Amino acid sequence: MDLYKFKYTFKQRLNFIFGLIIFIFLVLLIKFFYLQIIQFNLYSSLSTSNRIKIIPIPAIRGQILDRNGEILAANKLIYTLEIDPEMKLDLNKIKNQLSDIVEITKYDIKKYNKIFKESYYSSTLPIKTNLSTIEVAKFVANNYKYPNIILKHKFSRSYPKEKSGAHFIGYINRINKKNIKKLKKSNNYKSYMGLDHIGQTGIEFFYENKLHGFPGYKKIEVDANNKVIRTIETVEPKHGKDIILSVDYKIQKVAEKAFGSYKGAMVAMNPKNGEVIAYVSQPTFNPNLFTNGIDEINWKRLNSSIHKPLLDRVVSGLYPPGSTIKPFVAFAALENNVRNPPFSIQDKGFFIMPNSSKIFKDWKKGGHGEVDIIKAIAVSCDTFFYGLGIELGIPKLNNMLRKFGFGDKTNIDIPNEKKGLIASPKWKKNKYKKKWYQGETAITAIGQGYTQTTPIQLALATTKLINPNNIIQPYLFQQNISPKYMKKELENIKENKNLSLVKEGMSLVTKEGGTAAFIGRTTDYNVSAKTGTAQVFGLKEGQVYNEATLPDRLKDHALFIAFAPSENPELVIAIVIENGGHGGSTAGPIAKKVFDAYINEAN
Amino acid sequence: MFKLTLYKLFENIDNILMTLIIFLITIGFITLISAAQQNTPLLWGQIINILIGIILLIFLSHVDPKRFLFYSPHLYILSLFLLLAVNFIGLESHGAKRWINILFFNFQPAEIVKITIPLMLAWLYHRFQNSINYKTHLIAFIILSIPCLMIWYQPDLGTTILIGFSGLIIIFLSGLSLKFIIISIFSFLILSPYLWSTLHLYQQNRILSLIDPTKDPLGTGYHSIQSMIAIGSGGFLGKGWFYGSQTQLNFLPETTTDFIFSVFGEEFGFIGTFGIFIIYFLILYRCIDMAKKMQNTFSRLTTAALTFSLFSSSIINIAMVCGILPIVGAPLPFISYGGTSMVVSLIMIGIIMSLHSHKSLIAN
Repeated sequence: MDLYKFKYTFKQRLNFIFGLIIFIFLVLLIKFFYLQIIQFNLYSSLSTSNRIKIIPIPAIRGQILDRNGEILAANKLIYTLEIDPEMKLDLNKIKNQLSDIVEITKYDIKKYNKIFKESYYSSTLPIKTNLSTIEVAKFVANNYKYPNIILKHKFSRSYPKEKSGAHFIGYINRINKKNIKKLKKSNNYKSYMGLDHIGQTGIEFFYENKLHGFPGYKKIEVDANNKVIRTIETVEPKHGKDIILSVDYKIQKVAEKAFGSYKGAMVAMNPKNGEVIAYVSQPTFNPNLFTNGIDEINWKRLNSSIHKPLLDRVVSGLYPPGSTIKPFVAFAALENNVRNPPFSIQDKGFFIMPNSSKIFKDWKKGGHGEVDIIKAIAVSCDTFFYGLGIELGIPKLNNMLRKFGFGDKTNIDIPNEKKGLIASPKWKKNKYKKKWYQGETAITAIGQGYTQTTPIQLALATTKLINPNNIIQPYLFQQNISPKYMKKELENIKENKNLSLVKEGMSLVTKEGGTAAFIGRTTDYNVSAKTGTAQVFGLKEGQVYNEATLPDRLKDHALFIAFAPSENPELVIAIVIENGGHGGSTAGPIAKKVFDAYINEAN
Repeated sequence: MFKLTLYKLFENIDNILMTLIIFLITIGFITLISAAQQNTPLLWGQIINILIGIILLIFLSHVDPKRFLFYSPHLYILSLFLLLAVNFIGLESHGAKRWINILFFNFQPAEIVKITIPLMLAWLYHRFQNSINYKTHLIAFIILSIPCLMIWYQPDLGTTILIGFSGLIIIFLSGLSLKFIIISIFSFLILSPYLWSTLHLYQQNRILSLIDPTKDPLGTGYHSIQSMIAIGSGGFLGKGWFYGSQTQLNFLPETTTDFIFSVFGEEFGFIGTFGIFIIYFLILYRCIDMAKKMQNTFSRLTTAALTFSLFSSSIINIAMVCGILPIVGAPLPFISYGGTSMVVSLIMIGIIMSLHSHKSLIAN
């Protein structure tokens, strides 16, 4: 190769390499343009999330108190040992590690796994809750041995009254995936930052927004080693508000004690304003079990029991009203000029359907003799009401029931309220594709048909008898009462002569000859009431109801509505005792004890 | 009199190139002040590195190119001995022996090779310039292979590639036939699975992390991602001097050496990086221009090879910090902190200037 050619090749190839380098620099420039201009937002936010950490400061949940300041749901300072689930630690190893300090039981591990699987968590999950002071001290002293285990102190919900009042107080549990979906949908997710719990039932659920408050946070800047460089911003949490209920725990306790081992529900309310004074649903449960994740054994026990302890019978229990419906049916008749005094019948203990040979029996063999509408209520004369019902007709009857609030929610501030049911020909046709018989009108008039009510409905309907001019809505927390929650439709029941007749009948129930006469004998104030007995199952033809031979679960439900003192009612009570037999004799004494306690306390 | 001495001192300095280099060094030092995070001794160290480098540059600009030509084989042999010495008296760090301690400072013999290889190969082609054939290329290849294998053995993949590349450039510029080049590239591709197996595991991981840097964010790809976050979050105008959070809060590793360009990109934005690219272009253009104007084979080849050596270092470093290449640990010439890199880069410029200013001496 000669030198000239060498020089030529050299220059050519030099230019080539020069061009190549320019090309590479252009590629690099494009890459920088891409990173710094096009993807700037992405990298800018990545850079921010590198250095800015947000540490939530949880809000303290509000307490729930009764009207006298008695604490029903409190916050207890507890110590927990927690681990970071992201680290995927071997639980058995941790169990062995901690064996000197605290025993991690099989249930603890099961509970941990359950929480891990089901719940949302903001940072760490508890492997052991409720450490004793000694255990805490031991752990702190040997802290260095457990780099992966974190001791945390936090406020944990506690229900000092345990099983008492559990249904209306409700419970909280750890936020689960379903809750998160709901929170995200309602845009409330942010306000649960750093919180692990949410109200599930009762007041804890209904007033969740008030109780849980709004968490604060600390925005900090950290370096690559997670060392805090500075605090950028601190937003204090807004702690949850305390909720003071209308419930009087003293009366609540009296009612629960009087209930003994009966199953059923009782609600006592002030007829002047709708304040619920006592709220009993039996059997009950211990809400403390739920707070930090309920263990499997207790959950199974509560959830599969045939006695349904988790069911809030006051608002979700559906019962045929039995004879407690009679005052309302009577009022419907009077308002429609049916059976107005001095009309009376001669009751021989049975009623023969017109245009038919069908016989409907009265609960009393031989009958009640001469019965007018007042006596019919006092002695709960079925014969009188069969005829009344048929003459009045089902549409008018149901219309009046609706005015008293049957078949609709009372809108009490407790979740899961049931509507109940007002049975009608149209309803029956839809449901069973069958015709409505006249006989069904007759039994509906004595509360034995398809019609179903809840105890809170019975209490509200009774209130409307006493206080027809005002719109009353039952509630436990009065701040909630705003026009928004009130029922729109005004019930046009008027204080009139007919209403007085019905109430006169109810006042005679506790007098000699009435179905709850013993109350009148033992109280020094007047009580108006109506007893009821609802069949759990229909007797087959020819079968005779015999309380003594029936198994408990098939026995009649005992119902009772009452208010006292009759002249100026201060308290309304509605009671349902499941399989309690006769309303007057099982539910009556409970009502009496509650009235005694309430009226004596007031005086 | 003094004025005359001063003039004499700088008479062999190319003003354009020198201005550009000083400009680059100044920008680099400004970046280093922020990247050093209050490490004042480091900054003083860098000032000393720059001063030593510039003194050597001025000194070398006066050296007669004939001497470079004459001493090239000696320097080459000397550098081989230094590489050999690394194996015996080398200081080990991160599982590699790269450094030796002579008198009172540590340096990497591999960096010396960056100068001696271009000189040696240029000497070879200059010596046989009238009869260059495949034998000459073969000898050149052997001369290149010996130090490359030794550096690979240290192991130092990054420097091996850099030196190998600058040597191959000389062979290429000296007229290696295109047919042969194409055949070699194909055989390299065929042999690459075997070459892959000879790489160290950490080297393999670095290359793998390039293909998908998100695969192992806390391992090998982590640095790459953090570097891209630093650069990207700089945006158009940058976060400002001392305000680069990736730098100041240590999310970025090796801020003063390998990742100094990420610091620059984070704090001075696209405006800044664009400016640097312009300076690089001007330096490159000036050097190529000088190489073309040189009048003998030795000067031309040496200038071209040293220029490409500097630029391939720069390209590898910049491509590395913006996520195009894996993290191989290559400093950015004139900007990264480090005595060897700074001094060697300035020596290279010094040699180029000498060859440029003495062009008439060994013309052919």
